[in-house]
Amino acid sequence: MEFFIAFFNFALAMWLAWRHEAPSAIYVFFAGLVFTAALYLRHATDALPLSF
Amino acid sequence: MTPQIAIRLNTLALYSISAILIVAFYWQMAHDELPCPLCLLQRVAFTALGVGPVLTLRHGPRPAHYGLVIIAALMGAAIAARQILLHIMPGDAGYGSAFFGLHLYTWAFLCFVAAILASATMLTFDKQFAPEVKAPARGKFEDVAIWLIIGVTALNAASALLECGFSGCPANPVRYELLN
Repeated sequence: MEFFIAFFNFALAMWLAWRHEAPSAIYVFFAGLVFTAALYLRHATDALPLSF
Repeated sequence: MTPQIAIRLNTLALYSISAILIVAFYWQMAHDELPCPLCLLQRVAFTALGVGPVLTLRHGPRPAHYGLVIIAALMGAAIAARQILLHIMPGDAGYGSAFFGLHLYTWAFLCFVAAILASATMLTFDKQFAPEVKAPARGKFEDVAIWLIIGVTALNAASALLECGFSGCPANPVRYELLN
């Protein structure tokens, strides 16, 4: 769900840009950036099964 | 550089981002390799790269639009570098199969660095930002680029929902949660 929200966020930013709402698009872009950074911090320490 | 040329280059950038996301999506389907959370985050960063060019196509070239691209590319490069470092130990086969000799996250890192370089280069051409210049008219080529990137982003959103379901995404996904 979290990644769906992240993708949706940037799709929304592009759609707002398309609708000539540049300030809103930029706000949504930065909101998405903060959300993505939070997702990164959550998953950066995921335990990955080593392949060797 | 005239605003019209800047618009054309931004359109080509949008097509390139769409092509990268389509190749990653094809790889996921053809090789049945589900993207891990860090892989999904890199795709998210690629979609974030598209916001700047879309703004340029609608409102004309502005330095701020290239700034958005650089910020998104820095974030994507940081995520890709993290994944490269996770698999840097000798003998580690890496995550997923290789594409032209490199893993997708290594290609992603190179693409993000290229995006930073391209945006920085574009910023050096002042004439495209002349205040008296109106946003140049767009054609079908530009409109298709915008709707293609929005469509590919929506496709990735749907795929991520199928893969992760309504809860957190597993660290090593092996199946589509919503299809089971």
